[in-house]
Amino acid sequence: MRVQSLDLYQYRNIATLELKCPEELHLFVGPNAQGKTNILESLYVLALGKSHRSRSPRELIQFGKQRAHLKARVAKDGQIHRLEVQLFEKGKKVSRNGIEQSRLSQYIGFLPAVLFAPEDLALVKGSPQVRRRFLDMEIGQVSRTYVHHLSQLSKLIIQRNHLLKELGKNRQTYSPLLDVMDEQFVSLAVPIWEKRFRFLRMLTKWAQEIHQTITQKQEELMIEYVPSIQIDDGMRTEQLREIFANELLKIRDKEIRRGSTLLGPQRDDFRLKANQLDLHTFGSQGQQRTAALSLKLAEIELIHQEMGVYPILLLDDVLSELDDSRKTHLLTAIRGRVQTFVTTTNLEGIDSATLEQARIYRVRQGIITELG
Amino acid sequence: MYVPEPISKLIEGFMRLPGIGPKTAQRLSFFVLGMDEEDVLDLAKALVRAKRDLRTCSVCANITDQDPCYICSNPARDRSVICVVQDPRDLMAMERTREYNGLYHVLHGAISPMEGIGPDELKIPDLLRRLEDETVKELILATNPNIEGEATAMYLSKLVKPFGIKVTRIAHGLPVGGDIEFIDEVTLTKALEGRREL
Repeated sequence: MRVQSLDLYQYRNIATLELKCPEELHLFVGPNAQGKTNILESLYVLALGKSHRSRSPRELIQFGKQRAHLKARVAKDGQIHRLEVQLFEKGKKVSRNGIEQSRLSQYIGFLPAVLFAPEDLALVKGSPQVRRRFLDMEIGQVSRTYVHHLSQLSKLIIQRNHLLKELGKNRQTYSPLLDVMDEQFVSLAVPIWEKRFRFLRMLTKWAQEIHQTITQKQEELMIEYVPSIQIDDGMRTEQLREIFANELLKIRDKEIRRGSTLLGPQRDDFRLKANQLDLHTFGSQGQQRTAALSLKLAEIELIHQEMGVYPILLLDDVLSELDDSRKTHLLTAIRGRVQTFVTTTNLEGIDSATLEQARIYRVRQGIITELG
Repeated sequence: MYVPEPISKLIEGFMRLPGIGPKTAQRLSFFVLGMDEEDVLDLAKALVRAKRDLRTCSVCANITDQDPCYICSNPARDRSVICVVQDPRDLMAMERTREYNGLYHVLHGAISPMEGIGPDELKIPDLLRRLEDETVKELILATNPNIEGEATAMYLSKLVKPFGIKVTRIAHGLPVGGDIEFIDEVTLTKALEGRREL
């Protein structure tokens, strides 16, 4: 799969851009705040229908303008497909091959994309929330039922928390309605856990292999799911249901006192270990970054396995955060397979073989010019 | 700017309706000014009558102009089945099928602690009273297939269990006449879960 061309109109600080990009590797070079990330973001928007760093479409439109237009031609399965996103002050329209897609869920997934931004380096040392978001976003790219279950779960938890507060206020401990909501809770939580277990199992397999290569067999990476209740990957659906239902009963009084839901997938975490050592607590900065890199590269393999095509890779300003050997490893790992778009402030430390293959552009104040 | 009071009153009145902003309200108001007086009177009367003459049925809580409502008082209806819906509009939708010949019970909402709606805020006690009558053999739960509707259905089924009445839930899945290839994955998964033997 290759993005053949990218056309932008009134997008962020880019007035117009017409980029032919059938090659494999594209490097966007320039000082900060010139619009490099905007180019990667626009590809992300074309892939997923929304930005990774902004919620409102209005922010994506060039200042003082009414609309923005993004177009890409994508070569996939021996054909050229046209993806289009139009952004207005309120809302957006997405279309594929000239046909408007009324549901975003029907649009996304056609152009899978993996983004690696400086924030991702915090995947290991950051809060559980960052890791949960990673899980949810990545599983969501390959399973729409998962997205549906998650959104149902968050609605249920809002209702359940209100009920818990009310029961606490009235000093009640028995509530048939809470029984019902717990039943709903179990029915939503169990499939979410099962999907997460399966995803992490596959991710671990790929990440271990990649991590071994990067560390030259010095480190063995392990990913361990840390659930809020005593469950594990080996359990059957019925077992999971039973355990969770029992735990909810046991903690009920406490939940009512606190007026909030204390257990469930929305409270879980995962931990990365290298040679049995918890990287969150004991890992050096370098180790943490390598682990994050292994995870992201594993994700590329996983998408390939699940969807049959390699995603495009968007590397936003992460090269400068990696030392030369990791940089080289990253660029060799993707060579020949994954179309990659990179932003960087300078080209130092990138090996000459890579540079020779790459298309290099200079980005200055929203204007993109090709070098060489 | 001076706007004669009758017009500004009318505009304000329209603006209280859902989905109507100042522009639409103004357009509607001026349209009313251009209408025949007879039509305007009919409309005004219809508004007042709808409000004054309609009440909820003392049996099923549907909105009606006679009590009990035309469904509850129809002797041709099957009194052994009650279909529970959230809203009078859901009842109308069920009626449009012309396939259902039982009775109804309108809850006027679904359980939602977030909005302060618990079982006591809905017409659930009235429903239980109706079940004490032994003619009722089946309760069909036709609440919406979302978190609140499901919670309401599950709650009711637990509540009704001691009565020994058959409780059923309407199915969800594929729309009729649809092509499977165009159905979204979530609906299709539901349809797969709810498959039945032929």
